[in-house]
Amino acid sequence: MRRYILRRLGFALVSLFLLSVTIFFFVRVTGDPAVLLTEPGASQADLDAIRQQFGLDQPLWVQYGSFLAHLLRGDFGQSFYYRTDVLELYLSRLPASLLLAAVAMAFSLVIGLPTGIVAAVRVNGWWDSAGKIFALLGLSMPSFWVGLLMILFFSVYLGWLPSSGSGTPLHVLMPAFALGWYFAAAHMRLTRSSMLEVLGSEYVKLARLKGLPEALVIAKHAFKNALIPVLTLAGINLVLMVNVAVVVETVFAWPGVGRLLYEGIAFRDFPVVQATVLLGGVMIVTVNLVVDVLYAMIDPRIRYE
Amino acid sequence: MTGSRAAGLTLAWRFAAFRSEGFPLLPTLILLTLALVAISANAIAPYNPEVGVLGERFRPPAWQAGGSAEHVLGTDHLGRDVLSRLIFGARVSMVVGFTAVIVAGLLGTVLGILSGYLGGWVDQVIMRITDTWLALPALTFAIFLAAIVGPSEMNIVIILAAVYWTRYARVIRGEVLSLKERDFVRLAIVAGCAKRTIMRRHILPNVLNSAIVLATLMLGVVIVTEASLSFLGVGVPPPKPAWGLMLADGKKGLMAGYWWLTVLPGCCIVLMVLAANLLGDWLRVKLDPQLRQL
Amino acid sequence: MSRSTMPGLGALSLIINDAYSALRRSRWIGVLLLWGGLECLAPHPADAAPEGTMTWGLHVTLASRWLDPAETEALITPFMVLYAIHDAVAKPMPAGPITPSLAESWSVSKDGLTYEFVLRKTARFHNGDPVTADDVKFSFDRYKGAAAKLLKDKVREVQIVDAGRVRFHLKEPWPDFMTFYGTSASGAAWIVPRKYIEKVGDDGFKKAPVGAGPYKVVSFTPGVELVMEAFDGYWRKTPNVKRLVFRSMPEEATRATALKKGEVDIVYLLSGPIAEDTRRTPNLKLVPSKPPGVFWLEFPDQWDPKSPWHDRRVRLAASLAIDREAVNQAETLGFSRPTGSIIPRIFEYALPFDPPPYDPKRARELLAEAGHPNGFDAGDFYPFPPYTSMGEALAGYLQAVGIRTRIQTMERATFLTAWREKKLKGLVVGITGAAGNAATRLEAYVTRGGIYSYGVIPEVEDLFQRQAREPDRARREALLHQIQKILHERVLHAPIYELAFLWGVGPRVEESGADLIRSHAYSAPYEDLRLKKP
Repeated sequence: MRRYILRRLGFALVSLFLLSVTIFFFVRVTGDPAVLLTEPGASQADLDAIRQQFGLDQPLWVQYGSFLAHLLRGDFGQSFYYRTDVLELYLSRLPASLLLAAVAMAFSLVIGLPTGIVAAVRVNGWWDSAGKIFALLGLSMPSFWVGLLMILFFSVYLGWLPSSGSGTPLHVLMPAFALGWYFAAAHMRLTRSSMLEVLGSEYVKLARLKGLPEALVIAKHAFKNALIPVLTLAGINLVLMVNVAVVVETVFAWPGVGRLLYEGIAFRDFPVVQATVLLGGVMIVTVNLVVDVLYAMIDPRIRYE
Repeated sequence: MTGSRAAGLTLAWRFAAFRSEGFPLLPTLILLTLALVAISANAIAPYNPEVGVLGERFRPPAWQAGGSAEHVLGTDHLGRDVLSRLIFGARVSMVVGFTAVIVAGLLGTVLGILSGYLGGWVDQVIMRITDTWLALPALTFAIFLAAIVGPSEMNIVIILAAVYWTRYARVIRGEVLSLKERDFVRLAIVAGCAKRTIMRRHILPNVLNSAIVLATLMLGVVIVTEASLSFLGVGVPPPKPAWGLMLADGKKGLMAGYWWLTVLPGCCIVLMVLAANLLGDWLRVKLDPQLRQL
Repeated sequence: MSRSTMPGLGALSLIINDAYSALRRSRWIGVLLLWGGLECLAPHPADAAPEGTMTWGLHVTLASRWLDPAETEALITPFMVLYAIHDAVAKPMPAGPITPSLAESWSVSKDGLTYEFVLRKTARFHNGDPVTADDVKFSFDRYKGAAAKLLKDKVREVQIVDAGRVRFHLKEPWPDFMTFYGTSASGAAWIVPRKYIEKVGDDGFKKAPVGAGPYKVVSFTPGVELVMEAFDGYWRKTPNVKRLVFRSMPEEATRATALKKGEVDIVYLLSGPIAEDTRRTPNLKLVPSKPPGVFWLEFPDQWDPKSPWHDRRVRLAASLAIDREAVNQAETLGFSRPTGSIIPRIFEYALPFDPPPYDPKRARELLAEAGHPNGFDAGDFYPFPPYTSMGEALAGYLQAVGIRTRIQTMERATFLTAWREKKLKGLVVGITGAAGNAATRLEAYVTRGGIYSYGVIPEVEDLFQRQAREPDRARREALLHQIQKILHERVLHAPIYELAFLWGVGPRVEESGADLIRSHAYSAPYEDLRLKKP
């Protein structure tokens, strides 16, 4: 088991290293930050001064070396655009992202779990289709569109919710719903298939044979066991939500890390992009690692795969 | 006579069987219709979708006050006919969607088979790349690639394929790992078949089901991603009438009451993606009940 | 198993939340202290006490570097923040483009080599320290933004005469000195407190900036929100509005909705249908400001003798094919001003030209004369990001007379990089809002040293070199006018319009500060803004 964990840890580190290389060179071939920090008519001298200030006049490998050296000391550098410490910037945005993701996950499960169960048990054809279509709709609509329609309806037309920004609990509702709805279908699908699996298992058959009412069988025996893989996926998706909320954050002016990253790309703010992608990568890789290891503990066969 | 009746009966019986198993007739019809529209766009679109008259911008649909039969579904911010753009948009969205899904599918399936069957360093390299890809959220990655290669229809396909092939690779690899242990593959190995032959004759046909199911489900993801890229300004370049682009362009008119500019292309996207997803879900249950985490 | 995953995440978020709330707490303490401090200060007897809050929805992302004048790059945006927190020796004001501010006056020696500034005795920083000659020299020396190299190359020495007087000694006469020092062409004249910065350091300064401007910083969340409060020790006057809040709202529809809902009072950058909707909404006002930005069509291929664009008639045809007024209506509701020159008419030394008429018939004739009776394929067309729909409209007009193009949208950074590296071919839409005068604008686009020049007319280059050495203003103007005439006659560009920058203004605002300062894009001066009496 320890060997397995070490191996997986090694893989995780390799992919994070690859990620750092990829991101470092990717972001540098896409354009010059100096032109974005100035008006289009700015003089060559001004542009050169900016490049020199950021060390962009150095050869690429020198830049990478210094980036890595600083990184190992936990220093992500200074943002080009903000001119402040990148890690500080990132940490100031993270709570908003985590809040958004948590509420979005709640919405997603509230939609995904019941529809998944209903789809598996087929209590009623109509409810089944309606639920399924509602969950799938979230997947079928670009979230910026859902967001704008919601703003139009709930804040302009009804005037119930604030249109954008953050601060009060009301602010989080719309962006969280727009984000959560997109993930609902995945949770519905997994709930359905793991419910089916559990319903077909011996002990559920046994419970039925014992003459327990069907509703009780489903609620007590099947659902509880089917929940495990769904919650695992939810854990993974929670981390993903922190990192994919770019569009929703832009529409609702939500101050999360997604927007930090997107604007980092738009401004060619190399240190911000590197830090956001790497820290996001660490989150994703870690959660996958934990899930893999836990599965391996439960099912030793996986270790020899 | 009897023969034909029997054939008819069989057909009816089959159809009934399909129905009873929840064959998604409506989604299939929707996809077929959209495909038909896309193919015959030139013949049925009333106007050139890329040329407009600035003086005729923001005409509402025919049934609304101020609308006219000239532009049944109104005009956009440059005075272009919305109906024509939707019709040609079906073509752009279908071409982009299908090509991306197919390219990603081919790449992912081939690499998944190689990775799963050959194992060793090939597996290591491919899996480490997939891990790295996985650590970079799809949309972020797509924005990056768009910034590098610049937007064009072709590039959007490449970007989407480059982002999404890993999903196939991981699933297919898993399938291949279990197929490898099956008797018919072992027999083939014992019989001395070349690796290439085994992969092509024995492995590939058995993973095709999963690949097809995945492809159907990915179609929706790809089209929605394409729209999101347009929203962020790095999607299919104008004046191409892609639905995602129309939606992103039209969002500005939403508040001013020009609802048809966003609602109509939005409905087209939802229709197509929902249809693909319903079909995909059905296929998944039919062809490959084991597929779970998609 | 998910149960064991979750605590990890939960703990992480708790730690971060703790750090965050600690930050927030400290900010609140700051606010409380500030309140206490305010109560101790006696109010100005002449002015009413500042009241109310004015909130902006900004189209840009608030950067920490804008809090420090030393980092002012060649960009107009930072001045949005500078005008509130800081003050300059001289700056554009309603009274004129170079208005004495922290300096009450200045004089130039006869040889044009020495500029002496007399500082205002009443000027103070937010921490109560007086603004001294020492601070002026310190600010100049640490300045590293736009034109820093130019200024430091030309200035031999900054001499502190006494606490209230400072002299700039130039190496050689430089008629444009005040154009660079006293306008938004640089941030070198914006004064920061030496003692405070030496105490807290550059990073500390960006976190808690202290300036000599009408507003002091209460709290700042980079990229999200800046809250400021009136500084009643401001020398010019006590501001009318107590509290200013800047919020970043990158999405136009979101900004406009927030305005409609009354969540913000002023939003920047509205266009097309959203601007139209704002104009139609009762209570809301659509207000144009007129920064020095001109849109034009650039013909990079004209220097290649084999290209159709080499022919003046073809370029003229393109220019005549465009209905500038219709594009103006569609994009900026008619608030922009069609023009025949790439130099904004308010610039010093500008020679304005009327916009070429919309004449598609003549355009087609010209094309036929040039040997393209059926039009021609003109290759790629690059709109200026993010003004894609405007580019589409232009390309549509060209198409209508037979100039066929393929639109290539690019992301802004990629576009600007490619343009500077001269990789863009075909047609390019250009715009710049860079501050300066006609000479600085011409330099970038039509001279040998220009970073966007694809080619140079020798005559223009010669005239440009001569004007740069010309100390006499009238003669310099004549030379610069001659250059602009040549550009116009040869149709080097097809100018479109001088861009109007549209704002939406809500019902609570009495004075939004739009266009109080000529060619300034944003609200200013902040101390003059006013809310309606409730």
